[in-house]
Amino acid sequence: MGPVELLHMSVFSQSFSPCGRFLAAGNNYGEIALFSLSAALSPDATALSQKPILTFTAHEGPVFSLVSTDCQLLSAGNGEVSAWSWSELIKKNVKALWTKKPKYRSSLEIPEINSMKLQSRDNSLVIGAGDNNVHILDLEHGVFKSVLQGHSDYIHCVSVREREAEILSGGEDGAVRIWDSRTGQSVHCIEVYKYETCARPQYGKWISCLTTDSDWMLCGGGPSLSLWHLRSLSPTSVFPLSGCQRYSVFHQDMILAVGEGPFVSHCLLGGDVKAQIPCSLQSVNTLQLNSNSTEHQVLTVGGSSKHIDVFTNLSYRAFSLSF
Amino acid sequence: MASDALKKRKAKVLRSEGGTPEMKRGRAEGDQQESRVYNEEVELDGRDPEQDYLQYKESCESLATLMNEIQELKANGAKEGCAEVEQRRMQSCIHFMNLKKLNRLAHMHLKRGRDLTHEAKQKVDVLHLQLQNLLYEVMHLQKEISKCLEFKSKHEEIDLVPVEEFYEGAPQEISRPHLTKNDPHQLTLARLDWELEQRKRLAEEYKESQATKEKTQKTIEEKKEHLTSLQPGLNAIMQASLPVQQYLAMPYEQTQKQTEISRHLPPPLYVLFVQANAYGQACDKNLCVSINGDVDEAKALSKPPEDSQDDDSDSDAEEEQEKTKRRRPTAGGQLDDKRREMLKRHPLSLCLDLKCKDGSVLHLFFYYLMNLNIMTVKTKVSTATDLSTAISAGDLLKSDTLLSCLYTGDQGRETPNPANRYQFDKVGIVCFADYLEELGHPYKWVQSLGGLHFPSDVTEAVCVGSSLSASHMESTMKLLRARVQSRLALHKQFASLEHSIIPVSSECQHLFPAKIISRLARWTTITQEEYMELPYTCHVTEAGLAKETDLYFMGVVERGTARLQAAVVLSPRYPEISPVFSLSLSWKGERTGRTDDNLRAIESEVNVFKNELQGPRPGHQLLTNQFVRLCVCLDVYLETEEHDDGVEGPREFPREKMCLRTVRGPNRLKPFKYNHPQGFFSHR
Repeated sequence: MGPVELLHMSVFSQSFSPCGRFLAAGNNYGEIALFSLSAALSPDATALSQKPILTFTAHEGPVFSLVSTDCQLLSAGNGEVSAWSWSELIKKNVKALWTKKPKYRSSLEIPEINSMKLQSRDNSLVIGAGDNNVHILDLEHGVFKSVLQGHSDYIHCVSVREREAEILSGGEDGAVRIWDSRTGQSVHCIEVYKYETCARPQYGKWISCLTTDSDWMLCGGGPSLSLWHLRSLSPTSVFPLSGCQRYSVFHQDMILAVGEGPFVSHCLLGGDVKAQIPCSLQSVNTLQLNSNSTEHQVLTVGGSSKHIDVFTNLSYRAFSLSF
Repeated sequence: MASDALKKRKAKVLRSEGGTPEMKRGRAEGDQQESRVYNEEVELDGRDPEQDYLQYKESCESLATLMNEIQELKANGAKEGCAEVEQRRMQSCIHFMNLKKLNRLAHMHLKRGRDLTHEAKQKVDVLHLQLQNLLYEVMHLQKEISKCLEFKSKHEEIDLVPVEEFYEGAPQEISRPHLTKNDPHQLTLARLDWELEQRKRLAEEYKESQATKEKTQKTIEEKKEHLTSLQPGLNAIMQASLPVQQYLAMPYEQTQKQTEISRHLPPPLYVLFVQANAYGQACDKNLCVSINGDVDEAKALSKPPEDSQDDDSDSDAEEEQEKTKRRRPTAGGQLDDKRREMLKRHPLSLCLDLKCKDGSVLHLFFYYLMNLNIMTVKTKVSTATDLSTAISAGDLLKSDTLLSCLYTGDQGRETPNPANRYQFDKVGIVCFADYLEELGHPYKWVQSLGGLHFPSDVTEAVCVGSSLSASHMESTMKLLRARVQSRLALHKQFASLEHSIIPVSSECQHLFPAKIISRLARWTTITQEEYMELPYTCHVTEAGLAKETDLYFMGVVERGTARLQAAVVLSPRYPEISPVFSLSLSWKGERTGRTDDNLRAIESEVNVFKNELQGPRPGHQLLTNQFVRLCVCLDVYLETEEHDDGVEGPREFPREKMCLRTVRGPNRLKPFKYNHPQGFFSHR
């Protein structure tokens, strides 16, 4: 990989290994890199330990999503899902366990997979794809068991509410749809851009980040990032963040959000922006908190650069891993 | 106190102004006293102080006896105011009066004495002053005398003929023995006269010899002229014989001349000469080698080391240094001379002419720096067609950029000979780069061509001499030719870019859609500093892709109100290393490749996926194709931009390009990839 390619590299997805000692990151060239957190965080870390221990080409297109089960790494790229064994990857054996492709109707361009979430209730994988549909892959049998149709444009993000057996999806059409995962029917459809408090017509209407926690939902994109109460289906607070948000997550009693702009925003549930922590990336695509291991509890963000910023403490950037 | 008392008395006087008889009487007495004092002064002259003293003693004694008598009388019981006592009292009163007068006289005597002493003292002072003046005069005169005694005459410095010789040699009228025998002064004068006479004669003699010398010189000159006048005739004969030689296809004189001259080349240039000739004859008919410079000077230079030592001119340089070391480096001018001496080139230089297919010629001038033991090169390109149109292409064919980085990292700015560092320290040369303009560039490949090998950090297979030169000759010649061709191609492209025309060859037509609306508006060259100052290029600089040796340009692509600035880094090794574009779009606000993901995608479309754009080998059309793709991508960018339904009016850029999807993926990229036969745009 030459210097020009490195210059134009973007990191789209990250996932921590089940043991919490490794981080997998996918970039726009279809490569997945494995970083050793234990090496990078050790006191005698060198510049070399911030480089990947393994880099391999997983797909032809960009790797937009990475998900870890308790023993596998699932990667999405070029319209297909591949599974890799974590234990083999750590031994630097690169061989896909399987590769599956949902049934797409269009044939001219292969639709991308933008988002994947695990549904542990029935051990399935929820896939938000570029053909406007949500596909559900049964990991037990390795078959696509259902397709949730309803969006009029491609799907940016999906989220799973385990207790209520609900799946949420946000799309380019500006709608957040709530599906019943048992019947595969659309239960609700919230068109966020129609709410005056959230709408930002100068940006657009798409929903690019979506996450849930018990009765609460966080969504944003073209419209402002906003916190919704799901039982009443109404926005409770709107966060005054400039730019479009790409990823947000609930963390303790706070909300962490990233998107356009070189910072990680810390928001309070009430609607205030508590802090914006600077990072080295001009725009951020992905943010992950490592909760799999107590000794390597870090926050990592990746975006429009070959670097992945590591925050050992939420309030400052400690160092950067790089491809 | 005294003045107070005086006042009181005065006040009393005023009170009793009524004219008491006592006062009047008192005043009259005072007048009387004044006249008496006057009398007393006159009287004083007539009196003898001795006499006064005796009189005073007498009065005191008689006063004492009178007192004793009064006492006796009183003791004997004499009554107060009896006649005897009264009489005695009267007598003593008279004595008292006498004492008073004596006292006054004594005072007056004293005063007069003091006055006299004072007068006498003044007189003494005047005399003393006179004495001092006289003493000073004496001293001055003494000094004058000693000065006169110490006077040195000029003639003392002149070496005179000894006295005996003088009497022998000088004629009588000058020596005048009757005068000079006894008078040393006259003798010296005479000797000086004689000296003058002699010197006059010698000066005349000198003038005469000078004249004869000039005369002989003139005759020599005339003879020389005559000899040189023979030269043209001989040359004409030689010239006349040339056609005969050519006709017979025996250019032996030409080659003979060259080989004759080549014997005087320094070893590295000789190696290059032989190898280049050999390569030219064997593989490359378009390579032409010639020798320039002053042969006589080279002959003179090559003689002494041949006598003493075999070949090494390095030892020559060391000798030179030792010589200069012995002299003390005092003035700056001396240091300048030393520098010049150190950077001196061999009088002969080698010229390699490399002809390209299109008729342009690359002239390479190789020089050898004798004291530094390195070779340098200067370049010149002459073309078949006129190239003066493009302003932005000014640097492309300049001597100092044309051959930069022919091999990776070979900038030719530092001397490749590690020993030079120490030589430079001695004469105070800080940076060799300051002298490049004058001396040419010491690229590493030039040293290799000359068979010079200097060990560097990188361990290489060591081969020295002709084999080293031969091993580099072919690859270097190919690189040189490729470099010139790529520069000439760029030159032509720049000329049309400056007129806002992007040339697209027929081979590359399929890479782009037929209709491209965005147009190149401007193409200028910028400096590295200007490039670094642009806010949207810092990531390129940080990644180490914007180097000092690179060339920098600014292109502006326009469509409607949108204006896309593209800062371009062009490596000297283009097209082997592709140009890097950085973008900034001003349309509805300012966006750059750093902040806008879609502009970043255009950048990578142009920079990363350049392999599709190279066109026919060796890829001279890369830059222009990149520009066309930039225009196409700008079209797509503007046409697929989300239309805000809230804003009235038609879209500024109607959608004309066929796209499968306008946005895709989490960062909502637009379709920038053109699919040729179908003619639609899709995502990467």
